Amino acid sequence: MQPLQLFDTAFRQNDWLAQRQSVISANIANVNTPGYKAKDIESFDEVVRKSLPMAVTDAQHLAPADVGTATVSDAESSQAEVLQSGNSVSLEDEFLKSGDVMRSYSMNTQIIKAFDRMLQSVTKT
Amino acid sequence: MSDPLLASINAAAHGLFAQSARMRVLSENIANAETTGKTPGADPYQRKIINFENVVDDANGVDMVEAGDISKDTAPFRTEYMPGHPAADDKGYVKLPNVDMTVELADMREASRGYTANTQVIKQARELVSMTIDLLRPSS
Repeated sequence: MQPLQLFDTAFRQNDWLAQRQSVISANIANVNTPGYKAKDIESFDEVVRKSLPMAVTDAQHLAPADVGTATVSDAESSQAEVLQSGNSVSLEDEFLKSGDVMRSYSMNTQIIKAFDRMLQSVTKT
Repeated sequence: MSDPLLASINAAAHGLFAQSARMRVLSENIANAETTGKTPGADPYQRKIINFENVVDDANGVDMVEAGDISKDTAPFRTEYMPGHPAADDKGYVKLPNVDMTVELADMREASRGYTANTQVIKQARELVSMTIDLLRPSS
């Protein structure tokens, strides 16, 4: 039984969201840099799938390396127009993404709070 | 690797700095839109262009932006017939700066849009950080 896995998952997603936010702010900072391509990090599903430990049932099995950080790559451009400067950042897309980050981050912290209250109500009585 | 949220505030701050440097160059251009030379046939003020460069911050691996070199616009100057002007050449034409007010104003709008976007990012990163800090606040 893994009693406190909820904390772990929520914090891990917050970590991922923070990384995503830093990529978004790099995109926005470079909104007028010629030749800059908008970037995004791999999805949280992908990160979790990579870092979920495989069961080691035999002494000869290799334990998988811990892969906790998401890789950054160029985002496919959803922009219809191609600018002369070769810059593919769209402020609207970036704000959409950062709104996403905001919502999920807020939800995660609320979940953590709720779970913490549950634990405390058990320990206090 | 430091905290990604602080890194994002840092990147946005660099963005603010770059956009304000751009604003400075634009206002120099606008202020000097009619600056001519002093001697006959002399070149007037030459429009300045700022270049943005992408700089990777090694400590965080975040793409920062930096205002690079300021170069001169090589577009031809405007000329106007003003025979009495001290900078008029022997035919009576005066060279005026290659500054186009509409272009400068459009650039200014873009700069202020970029500036606003960056301040928004800082606000949001701060809010995320304070959400995490709020976890420590005892709930009533």
